[in-house]
Amino acid sequence: MKTPASAVQVRNLSKSYGKLQVLDQISLEVSKGEFVSIVGASGGGKTTLLKIIGGLVKPTSGEVLLDGLPPTERRREGYLGFVFQNPVLLPWRTLEENVRLPLEILHQNGFPQEQINELLDTLGLSGFETSYPRQLSGGMQQRAALARVLLYKPSLLLMDEPFGAVDEITRTRLNFELLKVWEKFHTTILFVTHSLDEAILLSDRVVVLTSRPAKIYRILTVDLPRPRSMETMNSAQFHDLVRWTRERLKIDSQS
Amino acid sequence: MIPAAFFVAACCLWEAIVRLAQVPLYILPPPSAILSEIVEQNLSLLKHTGVTMIEAIAGFAAANLIAFALAVVFAHSRILEKGLYPYAIALKTTPVVAIAPLLVLWLGTDMRSKMVTSALICFFPVLVNATRGLRAVNEEALDLFESLAATRWQVFRLLRLPNSLPYLFSALKISSSLSVIGAIVGEFVGANSGLGYLILVSSYHLETPALFAAVVAAAISGIAFFGVVSWVERKVLVWQEPSEV
Repeated sequence: MKTPASAVQVRNLSKSYGKLQVLDQISLEVSKGEFVSIVGASGGGKTTLLKIIGGLVKPTSGEVLLDGLPPTERRREGYLGFVFQNPVLLPWRTLEENVRLPLEILHQNGFPQEQINELLDTLGLSGFETSYPRQLSGGMQQRAALARVLLYKPSLLLMDEPFGAVDEITRTRLNFELLKVWEKFHTTILFVTHSLDEAILLSDRVVVLTSRPAKIYRILTVDLPRPRSMETMNSAQFHDLVRWTRERLKIDSQS
Repeated sequence: MIPAAFFVAACCLWEAIVRLAQVPLYILPPPSAILSEIVEQNLSLLKHTGVTMIEAIAGFAAANLIAFALAVVFAHSRILEKGLYPYAIALKTTPVVAIAPLLVLWLGTDMRSKMVTSALICFFPVLVNATRGLRAVNEEALDLFESLAATRWQVFRLLRLPNSLPYLFSALKISSSLSVIGAIVGEFVGANSGLGYLILVSSYHLETPALFAAVVAAAISGIAFFGVVSWVERKVLVWQEPSEV
């Protein structure tokens, strides 16, 4: 019997830019519906790994399969969604027009307006539909970026330090909003961050990369109960886990 | 309001100096003489202004269309840009005044030669700015489009084109006033109507008030054209912060 394909399957992936090797023999499997974080030093190849998984960058060697197919084929059907460190909203579009952009590109006309309203409401964006990006705060812009990617319901979310540019309070709130929508939509999430706290708070598993070239150093399973909330964040269990991990990894985390 | 007050004050000063120093009319007419010339000659002045503006607008429109089309090509092909860009620069650095006699020779003294001089002078700013605007798209935005398997046409229509508009409008504002200059330069070389013709003929006959009237008409036309383009810009670029003029 054929086993069902993993959401993400990375096999012996390496990437070099000329003589500079960025990724070295990375292999990773992510099951459907799993929340996996990738942590490592800044400039250590995390973004490159994510871009290769999304098919935006070609690997030097190795292979990526998304539910059994290469990323370039998968993305045509709106299988994957990218969230970048910056919100990347188009300044000439209103918030709602920005959120609708993927529908236009994927030719999903006649998308029900109620679903758009509902999603904007979930993310606290109601009432700002006709605002232009420059009129929105940083946190709100990032929420709009989240709404834009969630609207077309990608099976796989690739997030590259999505909350790296917002203040800590907003970031914590956005983290929990992300968990809420993840539980609701059953997406698979690959989340790049340099914050160990954030990774442990959110994920089922945390992939720790070494830097230059990036290799997989450890894959940790986080067995904190779900759903996770503010209480999780304040619990001794969470703090112990973060401390224990940090000591074992001897890596710095920004917190 | 303040610029208008300064203008009125300057005119009064001018009028006073000319009258007190008894400067002859053909050297420097007072503002009152220029104004009465404008009022007296309004129909003929309007006709000449109309001719110049038609030439300017036609040149402006043609230049923008061609320059923008070329910018689209440049934005998509580095090879074509490298191959053709030096010629665009050569075109820009060659003074229009130098080419204008040739154009009149080839196209005659009617409006066509002036449309071309006007187009030549408008061409470069639009080409440069539109190319830059089409190119200067956010890398991450390109990634976003690619992650959705957007086609080249979608990237152009939904990303590059709107991204180029602010750049394009700064160029259009520059070339709107240049287009009037281009038309007048063309008229200097050989014409039988238009503001350039009027200026030349008035200066031959030492009809200095008429010359000034033509200069005023040319200035007003240029400013008006610039104003119209700025107005369209504000209507189109609604998402932008209102900018200082």
